[in-house]
Amino acid sequence: MNDLNKALGDISSIRRQVAHATEFRGYGPATLAGTGLLALAAACAQAVYVPDAANHIAEYLTIWIVTAAVSAALIGIEMYARTRRMHTGMADEMIRMAVEQFLPSVGVGGLVTYVLLRFVPGTQWMLPGMWQVIFSLGVFASCRFLPRATLAAGVWYLLTGLSSLALGDNRALSPWGMGVSYGAGQMLVAGILLFAMREGRNDG
Amino acid sequence: MAEVPHVEGRFAYEGLDRVIHERARLSVLTSLITNPKGLAFGDLKQLCDLTDGNLNRHLKVLEEAGMVEIVKTTDRNRPLTTCRITGSGRARYLEYLATLEQVVKDAAKAAEGSGVKHRLAPSRV
Repeated sequence: MNDLNKALGDISSIRRQVAHATEFRGYGPATLAGTGLLALAAACAQAVYVPDAANHIAEYLTIWIVTAAVSAALIGIEMYARTRRMHTGMADEMIRMAVEQFLPSVGVGGLVTYVLLRFVPGTQWMLPGMWQVIFSLGVFASCRFLPRATLAAGVWYLLTGLSSLALGDNRALSPWGMGVSYGAGQMLVAGILLFAMREGRNDG
Repeated sequence: MAEVPHVEGRFAYEGLDRVIHERARLSVLTSLITNPKGLAFGDLKQLCDLTDGNLNRHLKVLEEAGMVEIVKTTDRNRPLTTCRITGSGRARYLEYLATLEQVVKDAAKAAEGSGVKHRLAPSRV
């Protein structure tokens, strides 16, 4: 590597350090609240169209995977736009950091779903609990670069996940198990970010 | 000789802020931007390898430019000076960094075009 490339590497390294010391502001409260409402709408759809989820696991998965994909797309699009507006000069670094923090939990969630459904028959009732516990790990991983109170949302997802697992049978597949957990959880995150934004504005 | 496209101000590099473009001040700001909660005067002095007098002089320039704030308090009855980067300082530093990156990219492109392996002079930063 010649010296010019080394200099570019040093500049990138400074930018990375700055990004690591910066609170991430790419998550928009309105969009997060919207994904909470989407989760409640999905729960209503499940209650109407898939009331017996234990015997229609494919339909159950379709509802929640589509909901998760739409939510991720909405959050991703807004994150891209907000980060470019709010983290001028290091937007790419901030987005990469946010994705790096959350992506492992998404990957693990997908793999756990595949393994339980493919190799461990009769354990599909564990899915919502596992998803919530794994999601809580993603929230905890992201907490370092978000307002401190976001920790409460991580605790919420962990508790709802553990409660779902504690049910120990197909009751865990109730529409409200997922709907209430993600509906309230996403609203909680949105509220925390909104409050932090207002505090930040007041602090000047 | 290769033809150079003449775009007005292509190499003006307006973002190379004179206040920041000084080794010690660049060093001070880099230390402060990576420690947004601030640094004690003594820690900053060590990180930047400056003397008390030099650091004071550069902090004064940065404070007058509104890029850092200096808070004087006491800790266990001993005076404690904490230096923090301001919002404006942070924005100007990031703009500076982007321009600096552009300068190096332009230089790298020119070096690539000429087919010569350019080496920068040894730097103390």
